[in-house]
Amino acid sequence: MDAAPASSRRFSVLHVFKVFYPDLFGGTLTVIRDICAGLAHAVASSVLVCSDAPRPRHEIVNGIPVERVRSLGNLFSLPIAPTYPFRLWRRIAAYDLVALHAPFPLADLVFACGLGRARPLVVHWHADIVSHGRLRWLVEPLMRRTLQRAEAIIVSDAALATRTALLRDVANKCHVVPFGVDLRKFAALENSERPGSAGRRVVACGRLVPYKGFDVLIRAAADHDFEVRIIGEGRERAHLQQLIDGFGIADRVRLLGSLCDDEMVAEIGAADVFVMPSVTNAETFGLVQLEAMAAGRPIVNTALDTGVPRVARDGREAVTVPPSDAVALAGAINALLADPARRRRMGDAARQRAATHFATAAFDQGIERIYRRAVAAHAAAHRASEQGVGLLDSVRIAAALAWSDLRHRYVRSLLGPFWMSIQMAIMVAVLGSVISHFGPAGGLSRLPMLALSLTAWTFLNGVVLDATTALQASASLIKDRALPPVVFLLQCCFRQGLFALHNACVPLALWLAIDPMDVGGVFAALPGVLLFIAFTFAASLVLGALATRFRDLKPIIESCLTLAFLASPVIWSPEMIDRGSFIMRVNPLTHLFAIWREPLATGQVPMSSVLYVVMSLSVLVVASLVTLSRLRKAAFWI
Amino acid sequence: MTSITLSNVCLDYPLYGAYDFSIKRRLMNRLLGEADGAHAVRAIDQVSLDIRSGARIGLFGPNGSGKSTLLRLIAGVYPATSGRIEVRGRVMPLLGLSAGANLDLVATDNISLLLRIGGRRPTPAIIDDIWAFTELEDRMRRLPLRTFSSGMLMRVLFATATAFPADILLLDEWLSVVDERFSAKAERRLLGLVDGAAIVMLASHDQELLRRVCNRIVPLDRGRIVGAEGGGQTDRSARKLEEICA
Repeated sequence: MDAAPASSRRFSVLHVFKVFYPDLFGGTLTVIRDICAGLAHAVASSVLVCSDAPRPRHEIVNGIPVERVRSLGNLFSLPIAPTYPFRLWRRIAAYDLVALHAPFPLADLVFACGLGRARPLVVHWHADIVSHGRLRWLVEPLMRRTLQRAEAIIVSDAALATRTALLRDVANKCHVVPFGVDLRKFAALENSERPGSAGRRVVACGRLVPYKGFDVLIRAAADHDFEVRIIGEGRERAHLQQLIDGFGIADRVRLLGSLCDDEMVAEIGAADVFVMPSVTNAETFGLVQLEAMAAGRPIVNTALDTGVPRVARDGREAVTVPPSDAVALAGAINALLADPARRRRMGDAARQRAATHFATAAFDQGIERIYRRAVAAHAAAHRASEQGVGLLDSVRIAAALAWSDLRHRYVRSLLGPFWMSIQMAIMVAVLGSVISHFGPAGGLSRLPMLALSLTAWTFLNGVVLDATTALQASASLIKDRALPPVVFLLQCCFRQGLFALHNACVPLALWLAIDPMDVGGVFAALPGVLLFIAFTFAASLVLGALATRFRDLKPIIESCLTLAFLASPVIWSPEMIDRGSFIMRVNPLTHLFAIWREPLATGQVPMSSVLYVVMSLSVLVVASLVTLSRLRKAAFWI
Repeated sequence: MTSITLSNVCLDYPLYGAYDFSIKRRLMNRLLGEADGAHAVRAIDQVSLDIRSGARIGLFGPNGSGKSTLLRLIAGVYPATSGRIEVRGRVMPLLGLSAGANLDLVATDNISLLLRIGGRRPTPAIIDDIWAFTELEDRMRRLPLRTFSSGMLMRVLFATATAFPADILLLDEWLSVVDERFSAKAERRLLGLVDGAAIVMLASHDQELLRRVCNRIVPLDRGRIVGAEGGGQTDRSARKLEEICA
């Protein structure tokens, strides 16, 4: 419970590799599985792999969502899955981080082309390409580009980072995280008697592929009398069996095939010596020798230029022999088998080292830390260009605040802002009844327009008046959360817009009840409405900022607005007013209402009013831009 | 990479008296030919700082020494009068306790609103995560914030504010408000944020707290950095950490 939020929220990781359970068993897959399980509290892991077996495209394996891309077979240890790069590219965006388990040139194709840059990439460097060395020149440039683009590279042993040519250029990004082993898996063996009665059982484990060097082990067994059990499956099986049969030692050298976890633990537990006869640097760490160490078994390994002889060290937890040397291997095995005390000593040392240096917790923490840093570093790099809160963000935040304001109204009363609508309905009724006494007839038919005008007026008045106090009211958000002040001026506009939608029920109801005329005028009125809103916002921006700087402006603005309202033809009927009145002609409100009222009523757009509004709006826009550039100073005023 | 660079930054904070807010008064002064009485105080004086990711900076000083002002300068609230401020990374300023919270709304609505203010889209999963961190009872999610004690309120606000890894986190007297157990947890989370390549700057006059949380202490007095920075030990380890992260 505690660990998850201790740093922060869960994030999602896509593991990219060529194959997954149950198509294969092996060290890399164990690592992927351990990462998925060990980081489950902090990371939602998924796997994208290839498969040449007829398996469902989506499947949950050991609790991990796996997606498989159809492969037509293998070529140079690589699946022939032409659609894999495309599928990978399409999937990347759905995750917070991509973890590439290298080498996997098919995925390098995607990253080397610069695709998927929107997400951070972490490369788990499991091994260099050794088996098909002649094709290196083809994939090396791809791998190099992938490594350059990666946020971080994880290796299991420092030797890999310094001795792999490809990694030397990117050494600053390499992080050493030794694999971990779950000691609990082997806890049952701790107190069990070693089945050392015969004292001649040797166990090895790994995929039956050439670099594992099982042929060397079989040769070593040929002239000696120890038992050999090899756990694992692979394409070399026939060849190895042939070799065993050729030596005539099938009675004591057996290929056990793939085993499940429990069986494997039991087999390793039954070993007197565990052998890791790998012959090339493709063996970078030897996860399985670590498991044998956790089981308290002495190791015989090979002097590769990788982590192998450093995980189990010669003379302490292991006897290290030169690779591909059957004689030395046999000698080391025999020497150990002949000396139970030394075996016990080495086994205890091995378990001790597994517990202290290769704990799963350290591995999990190391990986999680690197993942998190990669996500953060990538995000920081991505955002370096777009500093601060952008315009779109401002609009979003303002909308969220306005929405919350609306909900706040509903919290305090069931009807919420509809109280204002009721108030307006009463006002319309009163005004309508008063006006109808002046006019001869048709008083009733003007009610919808009157209600609509009042709604618009309430909006304009509300936005401008709210804006005069908005910045002071939101002082804490401006000064403590560093939100740009313009957010709160936008918020006024949005909030009053939401209220106006409530109020619009009144004119709508009146219109439906009294005079449902044609709706063609609505489209003609739309540009006018937009101009009206733009004008309102620009005015609120300028006046809001000014009123924050000069507090005594607010009452002046308030009374000016009321005067302008009364001096405009908003509530008066045509018969009541002097259309030629100078004040009415220069009053911006007259034109601001005319540009949408007249198209709505008559379908005619009053061009002179539009011109007037557009001109005053351009003046306001210039003023708004000046205001916006100065608005940062508003923090001093509040 | 996340970083903050201040070079010779000064801030003159304009002090407005009651009359300075009046436009009538100002126009009158203009007409009478009197000088505008705009006073300013130098709130930040020639401050230079170079902060790289992994740093947890403690700003230490008495009231009015410019701690909060410096944080606001970095957050971009105030424009600097002179000097250069360069901030790389997304800044999450948490300088006030309840900025943006609406006490009438229920807890989850507030969390959603605060996340949106921080530019994040709230999803039920994120809100569940945040609520789990607060360790408050589930039924309280549906209660208005005004029914919460100040400690509970702090938990909610802290959990929400730090739910997402920010690159740069600016805090003003935050951890001191909650009870000990939660404050230990909050400290852990802060330290976790630093792992996420973050910079944390914390202003406080509680030197104990700063020693515990920060790896570099910057003492401020009257807007200037004074004395030798930090303890030698912590400073060295901080620099080491900075090197590793750089």
